[in-house]
Amino acid sequence: MIGPGIKRGTAELAILSVLEDGPLHGYEMARRIERQTKGTLRFTLAALYPMLYRMEQRGWIRGNWETAGNGRRRRCYRLTRAGKKELSPLRREWAELFRALHQLTKVAHA
Amino acid sequence: MPDWLRLVSQRLSELALDSAEKEEVHAELAAHLEETCESFRREGLSERAAVHRTLSQVDNWHDLQRSISIAKKTEDPMKNRMRQLWIPGFLTLILSTIFLMTLQGFQPRTVSWSSPGTVFLYVPWLMSLPLFGALGAYFSCRAGGSRRTVLLASVFPVLALTAAFLSMFPIGSVIERIIGRKNGFGIVATTILRDGVGWLLVPGAALLAGGLLVHILFSRTSSSPDTAIS
Repeated sequence: MIGPGIKRGTAELAILSVLEDGPLHGYEMARRIERQTKGTLRFTLAALYPMLYRMEQRGWIRGNWETAGNGRRRRCYRLTRAGKKELSPLRREWAELFRALHQLTKVAHA
Repeated sequence: MPDWLRLVSQRLSELALDSAEKEEVHAELAAHLEETCESFRREGLSERAAVHRTLSQVDNWHDLQRSISIAKKTEDPMKNRMRQLWIPGFLTLILSTIFLMTLQGFQPRTVSWSSPGTVFLYVPWLMSLPLFGALGAYFSCRAGGSRRTVLLASVFPVLALTAAFLSMFPIGSVIERIIGRKNGFGIVATTILRDGVGWLLVPGAALLAGGLLVHILFSRTSSSPDTAIS
């Protein structure tokens, strides 16, 4: 299990990545991230919403109220053009970080 | 099952948002809690246990209220631009100009390119430019400027000089018409090339070098985005 310190900063990338596949509401987003990472990344409500609102303020995502098939109203978030633009450099940065960590640990075990 | 909307509205009653926005946040969070609780129930938990686990999603409602209020605050783009570009840019311009004027103060007379004293004015000024460029970039970086803004702030003196340089042509041609004297193409072309390279291109490169260095250092040392996953 990855500790909270390592997880810090991956949240925005996770949200942008799941929204790349299509619009989702907060609960579904949290479930999908948890499922796709096999429980390694887990968002609580307290962690998820302030981040979603911050990303919305930055213009990376946009939330709209939609009515689901069961009549329930949910606020669905979709990736904006600015969000899509933000995703590739974020991916690159994290890939670089993981590559660097991989190299470092290889050296440490040599 | 608790009335989730009422629960959230009570616990987040002090959100620093207008009433419509506050209601939206309450409704959204209540819907999330409701779905979470239902999912726990489907997993076979008793109602009491499901509610307890659902509520454990928020350790501190007061902290959540504060985080949401901060996250929802709109930043004024004009204010950002001022802090990220105009202030660092003008600071770079003013400092580099003051330094050039100080150096000129030590010169016995007006310096031209052909005079031997030019090197004593130009070279120290040129050498100081990476420092001024770095300073502008540093302030822009600290204000959260993007790479483009940071680099623009660092080369700001050259941008201002370019604008002045370009405005000289129409003004010059008007003056030539008034006084009835026309400079030859060769003289004008030589002046443009010499001053363009000497006062725009080379200083621009020096400023940019300082700005790039700071930008690289900042991107290496800046911490990850301020986010957290529980």
